[in-house]
Amino acid sequence: MKQRKVVDGNHAAALGALLSKPDVVAAYPITPQTPLVQHFSQYVANGVMDSTIVEPESEHSAMSILTGSSLAGGRTFTATSSQGLALMYEPYFRVSTMRLPIVMDIVNREMISPQSVWGGPQDSLTLRDAGWIQIYVEDNQEILDMTIQAFKIAEHKDVLLPVNICYDGFYLSHMTEGVYVPEQDEVTEFLPPYRPTHVKLDPEEPMAVDPLTPGNYLQYYRELHMQAMDEAKRVIKEVNDEFAKKFGRDYFGLVEPYRMDDAEFVLVTLGSLTGSARVAVDLAREKGVKAGLIKIRSLRPFPLEEIKELLKDRKAVGVVDRNVSFGWHTGIVYQEIKSAISDLDTVPTVPFVGGLGGEDLTTELMSDAIDHVVKAGKNSQIENKTIWLINDKGR
Amino acid sequence: MSVAENIAKLDDMVGPGVTACLGCNAELSMRMALKVFGSNTIVGIPPGCMGGVQSVGWADKTGMKIPVFFPLLDNTASMLAGIKKYYERVGRDVNVVAFAGDGATVDAGFQALSGAAERGDNIIYVCYDNEGYMNTGFQRSSSTALGSWTSTTPVGSSTKGKVSHKKDMPMIMAMHDIPYMATASPAYMPDMIKKLEKAKNVKNGLAYVHIYNTCATGWGYESERSIEICRKGVQSRFTPIYEFENGKFSLNINIKKPIPIEDFLFSMKKYKHISEDQVKDLQRYTDEKWENLLMLCNATDK
Repeated sequence: MKQRKVVDGNHAAALGALLSKPDVVAAYPITPQTPLVQHFSQYVANGVMDSTIVEPESEHSAMSILTGSSLAGGRTFTATSSQGLALMYEPYFRVSTMRLPIVMDIVNREMISPQSVWGGPQDSLTLRDAGWIQIYVEDNQEILDMTIQAFKIAEHKDVLLPVNICYDGFYLSHMTEGVYVPEQDEVTEFLPPYRPTHVKLDPEEPMAVDPLTPGNYLQYYRELHMQAMDEAKRVIKEVNDEFAKKFGRDYFGLVEPYRMDDAEFVLVTLGSLTGSARVAVDLAREKGVKAGLIKIRSLRPFPLEEIKELLKDRKAVGVVDRNVSFGWHTGIVYQEIKSAISDLDTVPTVPFVGGLGGEDLTTELMSDAIDHVVKAGKNSQIENKTIWLINDKGR
Repeated sequence: MSVAENIAKLDDMVGPGVTACLGCNAELSMRMALKVFGSNTIVGIPPGCMGGVQSVGWADKTGMKIPVFFPLLDNTASMLAGIKKYYERVGRDVNVVAFAGDGATVDAGFQALSGAAERGDNIIYVCYDNEGYMNTGFQRSSSTALGSWTSTTPVGSSTKGKVSHKKDMPMIMAMHDIPYMATASPAYMPDMIKKLEKAKNVKNGLAYVHIYNTCATGWGYESERSIEICRKGVQSRFTPIYEFENGKFSLNINIKKPIPIEDFLFSMKKYKHISEDQVKDLQRYTDEKWENLLMLCNATDK
C-alpha cells in the first residue's frame, strides 16, 4: 500500500533520509533547513530511527564528522543552507576529492550581504566546481525520491562521489504538498548497504589516507574524478530508470524536457521556479506559440549531450537564473548552456535573472520571458544582455 | 621492570627514518604515545611538524604502521569524532587518536575540539605544544609565550616579541569537565607514559593530553639540550605537570624550589632580547598560575 502524506519539503527530505538508513547523521540547524534537523532528532527520540545522530557545534564540524564516519565505512547524511555551506567549504571540497559518497541536501538560500534568509541557489551553484554531484529538484516528491536515489548514485562503484540534492528554501522547504512515501522494505531492496574498499580507516587493514601528494599523482586523481563524473551521467539515468520501474515515478535522469518535441522557443530552468515556467509554456501554446521547456536536474555532471541534442535547430533559447555570476553580468546556468551549445549553429540566447532573495517569479514574468525569447528568435538576434524579471519595477 | 624496559618492549607504530629535525622531542613524544596506544589505533595528524615529517606519508609511502590520515588544520577532533561514532555503532573498540600541534589545537582546531569535548566524544587528543607554527618557520600561535621572538612577532624598535601571554589550553580543557586531562613533559617520561595509558583507558568521554614540547630549530638551542630545556620549563614552574581526573586536580611533579624563570628563558635564543619588565611579567604569570593550580588541587582534594 502506497502511503500518501502531506508534508513540507524539509519533512520530505527527512523521510527520504530516514528510509535510506544512514549510519551517521550530523547536521547543524540553519534557516530554512532547521525543521529537517528537528525531524531527525524527533525520529531518534521516538525510536523510529536507528542512525547515530551527532549534534555538531558548526557546519564545518558537521561535514568533518561525516568525513570521519564515511572514512570508517558508514553511510552518512547531512543538510545545510547558504552560510552553513560556505562555512563547510573546506571539508566540502575535501569530501569529493577523497571520493566519499556522503549525501547532503542543500536547502537553497541566498548568500549575504545584504542580510537575507530567503530562497535562491546562489549558495550551491557557487560551489559547482567543488567536485560534488549536484541535482536540483522541483517539488517535494522529487526531494524525497531523489534523497533516496542520491545514496545509490553516490555509492555506485563507478561513481563514489558525494551528492547534493538541492531544493529551494521556503518555496519547497516550507511548502506542503501531497507526497507518496515508499515502504521501508522496498527502499531497503532498492538501496543495498554501503561497503567501501577504495578508502577506509580500519586498524585491521591499515591505510594511509592523504599523504602529501606530488603533482603527477594529484593530476591522476583529478583525471579519475572527472571520469567518475562522466560515469555518473550513466548511473544517474540507470538509477532513475530502476526507481521509475520500482516506484512508478520517472524524473527522466539528467534533464526533464517539457513540450519540447516541436518547440521553437525554449526556456531553460532549474529548481522550483520550473513550476511557473511550465504554466507559462502552456499559456504560450494556447496562443499558438511553439514554446518548450528544459528543466536541468543534474548540473554536475553537466548534461552536455542532452542539452546539445535538445537545443539544436531551435529558434531561440532563454535561460532563467535565480542567481548571478558577478563579472559575467548573467546568471550561472546561462553560461553553462551557452558553453554547451557553443559549437552548434548559432542559436539566439537570452539571459534572464530574477527571483533573487526569495522574490516571486510569477507566471506573468515567465510569460514575459517567453515573449523576449520569441522576439530574439524572430529577429535572429543574440541578446547577451541580461533581462531582469522583476515584479516591482519601481523598487 | 622499569618504565624504560617496559616501553622498549612495545612495538613502534612510527616507521624509522621520518624526517624530523635533530633533537625533536615532538617526534619522541609521538613515538611514545603510539607505542602506548598500540596497533588497534587510528591516528589523525593535522598539518604541522609531525605531518610535515612524513609520518602520514609522501606519495605512495607512509610513515606509519597503523591507519593514519591528515585531518584539516581545523577539524581534527570532528573527524575523529565521526570515526569513533561509526566504530561505536558497529561495536568495535578502536583507539581514535589525534596527535596535533598547538596551531591545530589551540588556534584553528579549538572550536571543533571544544565541541567534541562538550559532546563527550570518546577520542584521545594529544597536543604537542611547541609554542608556534614551527613547521613553516616559527610563526606565532596563541600558545606562544609572552616576549617570544617569532617570525610574525619579530623584535624591532617598537615591539619586542609577542605581546600577550600563552593561552592556558590545559586548564581550558579541564574546564570542559572532560573525564581526563593531563599535562606532560618529555623530560618526565615515566609520568608521560602513565598519563597516556590513563588516556587510552578513558571510555566515557574525551581524554586530552597536553605535552610541553620544545623545538631546537625554532627556539634556538643546541639539539642535544632538548630534554634539558623541557626540564627547565617544568623546574621553573612555567610548564606545570598536573592532571584533572574525574573532577579532581592533582599536581604530579611538585616543584618545591623553582629555578628562576630567567634560567629557563635565557637558555635559548627566542628570549634573548627580552626586557626586565617582560621577565617580571612572565615570572608573575608563572607564579599566579602555580598558585591557582595549588588552590584547585586543594579545593578538589576530597
